[in-house]
Amino acid sequence: MPEKGSKQVDTSLRQFIKDLGFISGGAALLATTPWLQSFTPDKAKEINKEKARIGFIGTGSRGVYNMQAVMALQHAEIVALCDIYPPNLKEASGLCPNAKTYTDYRKMLESPDIDGVIISTPLYLHAPMTLDALDAGKHVYCEKAMALTMEECKAIYEAYQKTDKVLYFCMQRMFDKKYIRGMQMIHSGVIGDIVGERCHWFRNHDWRRPVPSPELERQINWRLYRDYSGGLMTELASHQLEVCCWAMRKVPESVVGTGDIVYWKDGREVYDSVNLVYHYSNGVKINYESLISNKFNGMEDQILGNKGTMNLATGIYYLEDEAGGKKSGIEQLIGQIGNKIYASVPAAGPSWRPETKEKYFPHHILEGEFHVNDGLSMIGALKDGSDEILSAFCQACITGEKGKNIVEEAYLATMLCHLGNQAMAEQKQVTFPEEYKIPYMKF
Amino acid sequence: MHKRGIATDSTYYEESKMFHGSLKNIMGTRFDILIMGQNKLKSQEIWNDIVFELRRLHRIFNRFDNTSETSKINREAILAPVRVSPEMWSILQSSQMYYTRTLTLFDITLNDFSKVLMNENDHSVFFSKKDISLDFGGYAKGYAIVKVRDLIYRAGVQHCFIDFGNSSILGIGHHPYGDAWKVSVGNPYNCDEAMDEISLKDLALSVSGNTPSYAGHIVRPDSGEPVKGHKAVSVTSENPLDAEVLSTVFMIATDTEKKRISKNFKVQNISEYRL
Repeated sequence: MPEKGSKQVDTSLRQFIKDLGFISGGAALLATTPWLQSFTPDKAKEINKEKARIGFIGTGSRGVYNMQAVMALQHAEIVALCDIYPPNLKEASGLCPNAKTYTDYRKMLESPDIDGVIISTPLYLHAPMTLDALDAGKHVYCEKAMALTMEECKAIYEAYQKTDKVLYFCMQRMFDKKYIRGMQMIHSGVIGDIVGERCHWFRNHDWRRPVPSPELERQINWRLYRDYSGGLMTELASHQLEVCCWAMRKVPESVVGTGDIVYWKDGREVYDSVNLVYHYSNGVKINYESLISNKFNGMEDQILGNKGTMNLATGIYYLEDEAGGKKSGIEQLIGQIGNKIYASVPAAGPSWRPETKEKYFPHHILEGEFHVNDGLSMIGALKDGSDEILSAFCQACITGEKGKNIVEEAYLATMLCHLGNQAMAEQKQVTFPEEYKIPYMKF
Repeated sequence: MHKRGIATDSTYYEESKMFHGSLKNIMGTRFDILIMGQNKLKSQEIWNDIVFELRRLHRIFNRFDNTSETSKINREAILAPVRVSPEMWSILQSSQMYYTRTLTLFDITLNDFSKVLMNENDHSVFFSKKDISLDFGGYAKGYAIVKVRDLIYRAGVQHCFIDFGNSSILGIGHHPYGDAWKVSVGNPYNCDEAMDEISLKDLALSVSGNTPSYAGHIVRPDSGEPVKGHKAVSVTSENPLDAEVLSTVFMIATDTEKKRISKNFKVQNISEYRL
């Protein structure tokens, strides 16, 4: 986490946009990521010296993580903090002693000195808090997923159509450099036609927080209970399903799946093991799997094309014609030149060795160092786009410019989570309901 | 005796104006070249010259072929001075120069090159110690790449990529869709991992290292100790022979030696990998 006074995040957002090539003919990239249009260096100049006044609703571990990112920004200041759990509020207040503290977010929303709020609360609170904050005339940034139910998602989407306020959901992969570059490569045909998508998220952890006294169980371990959370789907899968649709530029029309409590039989209500297949109208499928009693496979977002495989979470892609290890570096180079691709050739190495299994050669999406999230943290990973999206939101609080596609992407990703949960609960194929389709979506 | 049976094949890619020539078994390994921007006929002519040259060098350096000049020297120089061809003379002189400039760590005898007595007057060599023999294993590919590069330049080729046995690479000019030839250096102990990515533009790259199935083949000549451990070295230089020699030398040199040796060469980059 950058310290205040060290490298500023707003400069890093500008650098980030620069790195992505927006300066020199990055038009193609802007087409892939229209939500970044508002954050070009020229736009950043417009907010020079201004500061967004931010209030935090929810100051638990994720809230504090977000606070630290916002505290590092030159163009934002934290003016208010709200939490119903005193230890969390106290900790946050320690970090930010000048911010006014509240225990009722509605009271906080009455303050005229707040431009925008950042909501880091359990899922069941997202809809009421987001809707109240928009009603109160605040710009809103809310953690994913969008809301606990499909009805609430629709209500938020509709409220957003009517408001002139900015609304962001933390779809941080949309601001993650390796995802953005990877998507650009996918959309320019590097891996050919998308023929499948495979995402998984594995952990070996009970997903619990310590509870000081039993009556706080649901308040603290809200992720484990249906009235508070959609479980693995809303908390983990939502990011990955968003990525699948972003790559595919389509939304799946139906889903089947099974979910169970396999290992953590501790009174929780949400599945600790889910397997789903989402089906697009062209026959392509998303295979989704999450299990939290074995972490061997880690977390990965894989887009499979007939010419290659994009491993977005690790930032590496593989080309099909390099498989098998039978081809020499030169043969791979010939294949690449034929496909008009400039990539490194795995030509060099100490000497030949016998090939015993099918191997692919890894290519890096980004040059230089970049961060890979192991998916194990319950709070958040460094450099996964979260800092950039928060910086972008604070900038939008000053300019009032809505973020393109962000609400729409959050909506469809969250809808897919709920449809997946429904399919698992009802043990049947669920199709995307007509009444929940929005103009943004292509099926 | 002309050795037969070295397979060669070539393909011309009309759309990319790209010629691929390949020798599957030359100097104990494989040779590949991509010649860019020439027509089919011209490419084929250049390739024929390259094949001729590589086979010629193969015959000179092959110590397992009892008709090669190297094996003639190895057989006879212990008995009496052997007069060598002008080319072998210049190769031995160059080997001696590398021997000195690498503080005796580059040694084509893998034992004690100072016991190879070279007579300037009649271009003869004599081994003043038993069990001395010449092994151009760490030298020949670099030398051959220099020769091929000369042919390429003479033919007016501007963009070309040469891969000699995976470990000796030369990029001339650049890739048709990039500003250099980009090569990644694979980690022999982890097939999914690249140790490095190197851009070559009129630059040669040489890689030395141990592999899981082939360790201990690089030996310190003064002690006879093989290099142990998961280690590799890559060297880039405008001079393919410097790269070839130094990649092996840096596998065995101590840190102090490395510093002193580096001063004697103009190389682009040396990277060491602990794997």
